[in-house]
Amino acid sequence: MRVLEAEGLAKHFSGVTAVNGVDLAVAEGELLGLFGPNGAGKTTLFNLVAGTFPPDRGRVRLNGQDITRLPAFRRARLGIGRTFQVVRPFRALSVLDNVLASVPSAAAADRDDTEAALALLRHVGLADRAQARAGELTLGMLKRLEVARALAVAPCLLLLDEPLAGLTSSEAGELLGFVGSLRERTSIVMVEHNVRLALPICDRAVVMDAGSVIAEGTPAEIRANPQVIRAYLGEAAE
Amino acid sequence: MIRERPATPVRRTVRSVRPGLLAAAALAALAAAMPWLGVSSYARTLVYYTAYFLTLGQAWNLMSGLTGYVSFAHGALAGIGAYAAVIALNAEWPMAAALGAAAATAVLASLVIGATSLRLRGTAFTFATLFFQELVLLVVRKLRFTGGPGGIVLSEILPVWLPHVMMMVLAGGASIAVALLCRSRVGVRILAIKNDEVAAAAVGIDATRLKLVLFCASAGLAGLAGAAHGLFAASLYPDVLFSVDVSLVALAVPLIGGVATAAGPLAGAVVYVGIREVLQSIAPGLHVTIVGLLLLGVVMFMNEGVAVAIGRAAARWRGHGGRQRARAAAGDD
Amino acid sequence: MSLTLACQLVMNGLVFGALLGLVALGLALIFGVMRVVNFAHGEFITLGAYATFLLVTRLAVPPLTGVPVALVLGALAGWFIQRTVLSRVSGRPELEVLMVTYALSVVGLGLFSQGFGGDFRSYAEGPTGNLRLAGVVVGWRSLSVLIVCLVMGALTLLLVQRSRTGLGLRAIAQNRDASAACGINVPRSEQLAFSLAVGLAAAAGALVSLIGTTTPTVGHEWVLDGFVVVVLGGMGSITGAVVASLALGLIHSFASYALDDSWARILTYLLLYLAILVRPHGLLGRRAEL
Repeated sequence: MRVLEAEGLAKHFSGVTAVNGVDLAVAEGELLGLFGPNGAGKTTLFNLVAGTFPPDRGRVRLNGQDITRLPAFRRARLGIGRTFQVVRPFRALSVLDNVLASVPSAAAADRDDTEAALALLRHVGLADRAQARAGELTLGMLKRLEVARALAVAPCLLLLDEPLAGLTSSEAGELLGFVGSLRERTSIVMVEHNVRLALPICDRAVVMDAGSVIAEGTPAEIRANPQVIRAYLGEAAE
Repeated sequence: MIRERPATPVRRTVRSVRPGLLAAAALAALAAAMPWLGVSSYARTLVYYTAYFLTLGQAWNLMSGLTGYVSFAHGALAGIGAYAAVIALNAEWPMAAALGAAAATAVLASLVIGATSLRLRGTAFTFATLFFQELVLLVVRKLRFTGGPGGIVLSEILPVWLPHVMMMVLAGGASIAVALLCRSRVGVRILAIKNDEVAAAAVGIDATRLKLVLFCASAGLAGLAGAAHGLFAASLYPDVLFSVDVSLVALAVPLIGGVATAAGPLAGAVVYVGIREVLQSIAPGLHVTIVGLLLLGVVMFMNEGVAVAIGRAAARWRGHGGRQRARAAAGDD
Repeated sequence: MSLTLACQLVMNGLVFGALLGLVALGLALIFGVMRVVNFAHGEFITLGAYATFLLVTRLAVPPLTGVPVALVLGALAGWFIQRTVLSRVSGRPELEVLMVTYALSVVGLGLFSQGFGGDFRSYAEGPTGNLRLAGVVVGWRSLSVLIVCLVMGALTLLLVQRSRTGLGLRAIAQNRDASAACGINVPRSEQLAFSLAVGLAAAAGALVSLIGTTTPTVGHEWVLDGFVVVVLGGMGSITGAVVASLALGLIHSFASYALDDSWARILTYLLLYLAILVRPHGLLGRRAEL
């Protein structure tokens, strides 16, 4: 069964069409890469799936259930976890409280929350900073915290918005490896600019440009696609 | 692979709060016993007003301190509670029912404002409360049911200790409730809303419902505080009860002392009463100005309130050497 | 309703609306450029009112000269407050800045109450007599207030819409960082916007002292209506604020005649409440457009 099915999604912002009739499907256990130049509409698409604002047209289905009109927090409780392009931590709260703030979806409601939260923090390597104030962490740590926080809702679909932005190459490699290991728990859609690093770990990839999907397929197919090369990858598509 | 690090033992703060709660309960009990302890009526009144401002402050804190949505309505909500209680008592209702009416009326009013404006941006909510405050004053002055501009008077004479004890119970109860809430999971979620409402929604927090529930609870508390004070004052005048002063106290006390903490409003209430008393003899008209300046200073320079600022300074003074050593031992990243 | 009565009410409404427009203009300017809800705006109105009152009663100066004096006085006070207080909190979250302006208003209110007491002050000097226009009687006092308001409002609108400085203000309202990156002196523009806005408020106060009574809370009352109007007109939209002021003035005038003053105000606030709900961005403006 498809975890996510989005059909004909469209969104306009005062004259600018950010997303223009996009279909997106994510299978269970899949890691889907979402690529495209700046302004292609990737984050807007994320926002439409996560429920930050409603689409002008189109439908979104999660595990078969129509969630198009549901507000963001309800989608989170149904199992959509997300991170943000620019990190949005709860700065005044401790690292542990950041994770504890998440409302776990029904599947995980009966677990011991503090233990589960600590386990998540161990997973992202932040357990030794559990009591630190989130506002004091570095960007790399905040990105990991945001992933832990998203995982705390026990998602069946994890939306990662440019998780590697702003990280050093060693941090990025580590985080990518970690993201790859998450495939067992949840389906993942990942927006990334760093195609060279991100494309190889994806099961499938979708490329957008100017609000529409211009290519879809396996990483190898994407690399070879002339439209993609023209619109985005340029010469250096190795 | 992300290197797994050993977890430091997590100090869940519930255990450390208990002595604080016991102290608060003991303090409230002691203060409530004052009418029988033979203290001067001046001291008793001072403690009473501290408790009143503390309760109002905790009510405001419960909503605006925790969510960051500023309310200017708490004075009006307290006033509504006062009127409801006095009108009910004058109509021969039993005390418990009158108090219930006070809380219920205030909650109903807050429900109307909250259900309509909490979905909007914070500024819209603040404006809504501002206009609510004005509206209530106008309506109360207009209606004969509420006695018009001349106000109403409580017809029965109550024993002096009754409003006093009531206020102490409210003050103690409110402070304990806020303390427990701040430590609870719900409290973490509420503070998350204040930090970043969009991120909070992304992790499944129903911000609108939480804000509404908090606002209603805070209104109920303010209504009860107003009711107790109405019994204390016995004569209610709309211009006094619904003046800007009351809403100012409700927000100045927690802001000065420290929002989103249970101890902050206590510090703020003590400071406020202290200032009023000191200025009474020197320059009685200036206390509003001084409170304003104090508020300004706190928001600009100590914006987590006096209580937290002092706490931080003390911790820094104590732990300065220790923290540096710990940081060195933890290494980089 | 007879035509003369209707014209009378319209006139009243226009005067009220014009004064309100001056106040709202300032509020919208400050919100548009600085994203600050200036709760202290009323204190500047009160400042202008008392300053004019003192000028008239102590120095026997004609009241209308109070207007430029109040304007300058208000602008100076505003400049000082902007430099010492507001610029320090400029990056901070809305709640804190709101508290700062609120605290300032409390300080101002306290000072005025202490200095002048609660008495109602008014004076008889100033334009008197009536003008007869096609059967409608218009007091010179009200008319002069209307004229001054229109002139000042028009000049301000010209400044904002047509001058280079105004362009800078409008740019900042749209995007602060981009404006700074384009070389616009943002701190200086904020000082200008604030000083101008509260100067206008003080001038409005001078006019209020002419046609009403002056008390320590006089500004506070006008500013509440000013907020109504700014929200109705779209937070930060100047033209919206002006249009909404005139509309509100007319509604208020007719409502005061049909019902009484208190019910008229209650009606006003209820209207506002509905307006906030229906259009949280106000009736005319979109965000960040002066």
